[in-house]
Amino acid sequence: MMNIALIGNPNTGKTSLFNNLTGSYEYVGNWSGVTVEKKVGLFRNGRDQLIDLPGVYTLNPLSKDEGVVTNFFLNEPFEKLLNILDASQLRRNLHLTMQLLEYGAPVIIGLNMLDVAKNRGIQIDIAKLSQSLGVAVAPVVARSGKGCNELAELVTGGVIGTGKSNLIYYGKAIETGILELESKLAGKTQHPDRWLALQLFEGNPYVKSYLETILPSGEIDTLVNHVSVSEQQNSGSKQALDQIIHRKRSEAIDKIVTEAATTMENKKIPLTEKVDMLVTNKFLGIPIFLVLMYMMFMLTFDWLGFPLSDALDSFLSGPVTSGITAALTAAGASSFIQDLVLDGVVAGVGGVLVFVPQIFILFFFISLLEDSGYMARVALVMDRLMESVGLNGKAFIPMMIGFGCNVPGIMAARTIETPKERLMTILLTPLMSCSARLPVYALFVGAFFVEHKATVVLSLYVLGVVIALLLAKVFSKTLLKGETSVFVIELPPYRLPQARALWRSTWDKGKGFIKKAGTFIFAGSVLIWLLAYAGPEGVNVSMDDSYLAVLGGIFAPLFAPIGFGTWQASASLFTGFLAKEAIISTMNIIYFVPDEASLQGLLAVHYTPLAAYSFMAFILLYVPCLATVATIYKETASKRWTAFSITYALVIAYVLSLVIYQGGKLLGLT
Amino acid sequence: MLGKLKTGEKGRIMNIASADKFVRRRLLDLGIAEGSEVCVKCILPFGGPVMVESCGQCIGIRRKEALRIEVERV
Repeated sequence: MMNIALIGNPNTGKTSLFNNLTGSYEYVGNWSGVTVEKKVGLFRNGRDQLIDLPGVYTLNPLSKDEGVVTNFFLNEPFEKLLNILDASQLRRNLHLTMQLLEYGAPVIIGLNMLDVAKNRGIQIDIAKLSQSLGVAVAPVVARSGKGCNELAELVTGGVIGTGKSNLIYYGKAIETGILELESKLAGKTQHPDRWLALQLFEGNPYVKSYLETILPSGEIDTLVNHVSVSEQQNSGSKQALDQIIHRKRSEAIDKIVTEAATTMENKKIPLTEKVDMLVTNKFLGIPIFLVLMYMMFMLTFDWLGFPLSDALDSFLSGPVTSGITAALTAAGASSFIQDLVLDGVVAGVGGVLVFVPQIFILFFFISLLEDSGYMARVALVMDRLMESVGLNGKAFIPMMIGFGCNVPGIMAARTIETPKERLMTILLTPLMSCSARLPVYALFVGAFFVEHKATVVLSLYVLGVVIALLLAKVFSKTLLKGETSVFVIELPPYRLPQARALWRSTWDKGKGFIKKAGTFIFAGSVLIWLLAYAGPEGVNVSMDDSYLAVLGGIFAPLFAPIGFGTWQASASLFTGFLAKEAIISTMNIIYFVPDEASLQGLLAVHYTPLAAYSFMAFILLYVPCLATVATIYKETASKRWTAFSITYALVIAYVLSLVIYQGGKLLGLT
Repeated sequence: MLGKLKTGEKGRIMNIASADKFVRRRLLDLGIAEGSEVCVKCILPFGGPVMVESCGQCIGIRRKEALRIEVERV
């Protein structure tokens, strides 16, 4: 078995290639850094593994997800590298390739987007490119999978070359420095000395700290200084070492590209630019974004999602329930088991499963935005607004993903380069209303706001965003002062999303919801039902005498000022911490109803419309769910910030619901 | 200055040294440095970012950074 790492610039079709080579389910995205985690797939030969690394321009990292790649080179074992290049941006892509060749591992190059290059009038002589680099170059079309079989055979086949590791002469000062480091290291590392030295001179912090585990740090600093000074003496220029290294690489690349590629003038305006004239237009950019968002919500909640969920609900409460009842009776199950299954599991799990269509529609749109390349434009259009609250446009992307699920949203914050903005994005993404909160809204709007379903739900989403922006402003003025905010974003060409890739990424995101219903929600439902079934006075007690009522009752008075001081509400809020959709399961069990429609009828007795809105706003903000809290802890590596993310959310939720409920009452609303 | 160009105008980058260190690095990563030809594709309102094209790729940077990049009109 071999470990093969897939590496390339962002937006070069890396993830599509990964999918085509491995045939596994992977997430395909288009904005910089959609691959934030290390992902491993099995080649179709069933033997070798392909490791998908985040897209990077160079091995000298600026952001945390780029650091993943450098760390991979320093710490993880691998046999070969598969470097994917965008043929239409050959010069920029080869900078990374040069560093890979310097690393000296066996490399194969997959040359993608030859069609895009051809449209721009660029012709590439593949044989010549391969000859200049000293490694095999294979043409592929990552999106359609053309050429992928040949590439897979090439990569997983026998021994492949390591290319020319000293393709570039960096000048006397740097070359002497490389030799000097080599003699200091004296074989105390398994990494190539030349590569280590060049990365060190470029200022790669990961390589520097790696070298500090071998050599005293004073010695390293002296060496870098010495090289820098002698370089400036030799060349007479004031340029820093990293600039010189970059220039030398550019010169070498220029030579290679001039030999291997011919460019003809092509005056056609690409479609991408025409679309961009519209969607990033001065006046239309933000309105277009808002209209798209509105359409997405209408489709999810009103036009398409609601009828589908309704149909599924009547199917679950009708044929499925009666089928299970018949089966249980036929099997001679005791009334305890029958109650447990029907009132606990079916009510709890079924109540959540009903919302699968709506959640898939939402995930479909998020995937569509990512795959098409529009997400990067959203970041651009939103940057001005985000800048005014101390964030940058890129922070908007994790927040958008957070609409699907907060967990990947928080992980996507790794693409934000400055630590302060990253931390703020992590802390604020949980305020984005994720798909698990959606069932709660759907239930309540169905009961109280039938006429304005989508509008009321949209208002909650907007509320989450507005609160997040306001808090960003507050945080950046108080807790997280200082550090300038910067913003540079690559805007990849638009790509027509492919049905298969779109379905894959929708399914990939949505399957977690179904899985959770089968495990977490299932177990939770059983537990809640048992707590509702038993009480201090024995089993099969009336619900109001159950343990659940006792537990909920302790906290109920706290929630009275904000409109829902019942033990049922506080009990469901507790389970909501485990998973937001568990609120629905709990209510279904507590109110002891067979389906969604009758639960809505019952809710009308326990809540006023105003209290319902206050309840929804509280659900939106009150605490991140358990999985999100775990992710925040993982990403910030700080107990303090994790605790902070829970506390501030609780406080904000309570205050806001208080304002909504008491303010609404003052205004004469009910 | 790049930030002074109007939509559709082209320029060649003369000096990038006074831009923010981070911005300079990122532009370099994207293959944009002294000597690169750039074309302003779009300027967002309220002092928002500018969208710049160079060698067939588009990038977005903030106006205040663009104002620190020297260009000559071509």
